[in-house]
Amino acid sequence: MNLTVNGSTHEIESGALTSLLDVLREELGITSPKAGCEQGGCGACTVLVDGAPRRSCLVPVGALGNAEVTTVEGLGAPDDLAPIQQAFTHHYAAQCGFCTAGMMLAAHAYVENGGSDDQHAIAEALGGHVCRCTGYVKIIEAVAAVARGDSFDLATTAASPGMTNIGGVK
Amino acid sequence: MKAVGARLPRYDGVEHVTGRTTFVDDVRIPGTLWVKALRSPVHRADITALDTGAAESMKGVHAVITWKDVPLLEYGHLSALGIPADEPLLAKDDLRYKGQPIALVAAEDEETALEAVDAIKLDVSEKPALLDVRQAFDADAPVIHQWGNWYPHFEAEMDRRQIRKGDIDKAFDQADTIVQGVYRPAAIEHVPLETQVCQVVPEASGRLTIYSCTQALYFSMGVVAAHLQIPLNRLKLVGGTVGGGFGGKVDTATETMCSLLALKSGRPVKWRWTREEEFLCSSTRAPWHMEIADAVTSDGWIVGRKMLTLHDSGAYARFSPYGLTKHSFHHTGAYTIPNLSFDGYVVFTNRVPTTAMRGFGVTSVSFAAETHMSRVAEVLGLDPYEVRLKNANRIGDTSPNGVVYTDPSTVPTIQAIADAMGHELSAEYRTMNRHQREGELLPEHLVTQVGNPEEH
Repeated sequence: MNLTVNGSTHEIESGALTSLLDVLREELGITSPKAGCEQGGCGACTVLVDGAPRRSCLVPVGALGNAEVTTVEGLGAPDDLAPIQQAFTHHYAAQCGFCTAGMMLAAHAYVENGGSDDQHAIAEALGGHVCRCTGYVKIIEAVAAVARGDSFDLATTAASPGMTNIGGVK
Repeated sequence: MKAVGARLPRYDGVEHVTGRTTFVDDVRIPGTLWVKALRSPVHRADITALDTGAAESMKGVHAVITWKDVPLLEYGHLSALGIPADEPLLAKDDLRYKGQPIALVAAEDEETALEAVDAIKLDVSEKPALLDVRQAFDADAPVIHQWGNWYPHFEAEMDRRQIRKGDIDKAFDQADTIVQGVYRPAAIEHVPLETQVCQVVPEASGRLTIYSCTQALYFSMGVVAAHLQIPLNRLKLVGGTVGGGFGGKVDTATETMCSLLALKSGRPVKWRWTREEEFLCSSTRAPWHMEIADAVTSDGWIVGRKMLTLHDSGAYARFSPYGLTKHSFHHTGAYTIPNLSFDGYVVFTNRVPTTAMRGFGVTSVSFAAETHMSRVAEVLGLDPYEVRLKNANRIGDTSPNGVVYTDPSTVPTIQAIADAMGHELSAEYRTMNRHQREGELLPEHLVTQVGNPEEH
């Protein structure tokens, strides 16, 4: 069985029912997807399958066929960061960093699909992703900045404009 | 001062967004064994039989440990401060909370480790559990801890954290009204996205390298060394990358048991808790039971406070005596009350042991004190902002435990909140400052509370 991850094709020894998460982490040593709950509840294991966010803990590797898998390692390297990566560091959207990879991939797919900088639309798109550190405000700011096409100065951290009315609080 | 006020980039920001941050679970060590735990299936029971023979003889199982494998079975989280130990690293005779670890297995892979745990024979005789602190003092309550149902080892072997200040009886005699309230914030699980995880490598030199997600690296080092009865120089702890902690990674939950398994098997081991274990078995913020009665005057002075706190410690003491002490020091909130009678108990129940979470004992009492301030204002028919400002800590006021405040921020904070909420304050309170009390702001009952901030 073959699996294409970040443009490289690997021959996989794990059984077809092994979760994509385990194949990535334990067989291929790609550790950015995290085992936060291993039951589809937290979003920390999210990867892109043919560009769409998927919980790798719930995907049996045998079900992927010829699909292409993307992890944050495939988004951009430190000297060539994708806009969503630049936004997450510039806007301080990664705090402990554990949910960050899954959160960024879902955000990347949202923006690639033409998502706007509307706070509620972004919150809806990231609704399946749990972050316990940030309170989500800076994450939503980062995604909105990418949707607007901002450029990012990585030598600084952005000032937070602050937001209201997230989560239905009027 | 290059950093204060500057918008510096995160030192680890690029690592985080490229997936290159190495969390404990991401450390790759060839030949690592998986660890799984046999945990108590019930809230409270005696262990009548424990046999690990079948698990030990299974193919792929490299080590099984029980209490018999621990050189120093009981070592308290506050032992370094002279607080006696009460909790065995692995359960010996009895089980005191659902999820309490009894035995651990290290095996070639996760599936084998789970099968080995299933193969351990455990028989228990279940006993009635105590799950509500309010029942702990009842004559017919089950006695669930070797020290009784509440912690008896405060200074001078007192069984409570007690504060007495001023003349509480006189305050209540003079009060126009007594305002009472009961406040019961619930337990909270920290829910770090990274569950408890640890890897331990037995080095050829005889040292142990411990990869830990702890929030308290050197603290954990001392705890591991004490249980193992080995010198600190045999331990190398690698930490600092924590996938969320919030207080829930202060207890040494995994490192000692993994170290014992690494030594017994001679192999590197990894223990990563499942989300279910994290929710059911990891320590939580405590539930608290707080009763407040305030002696108040019709014009809004709080002249006395009686308070009873029952701090649900769970099955063992861990850090709770420390948490209750902090709680007691803050039991008047951000306000000065001259006559106090506070009694707080660390109560044992058959719940998971409780621990720090963002404020450690202070958050609970702040919630109760602030809610009670609003209740006092409501009962008296006064403005809740103005009742707060009237009783607010001012420079020179004295805290419940005798500290003279030099820089209290209550007055400007309440004024700023009023501004943010669009709440109109009367001129008297709009212009109030936090300076030392005098004139109308120094009524007779507070004269004894004004100290000299210059001396502190």
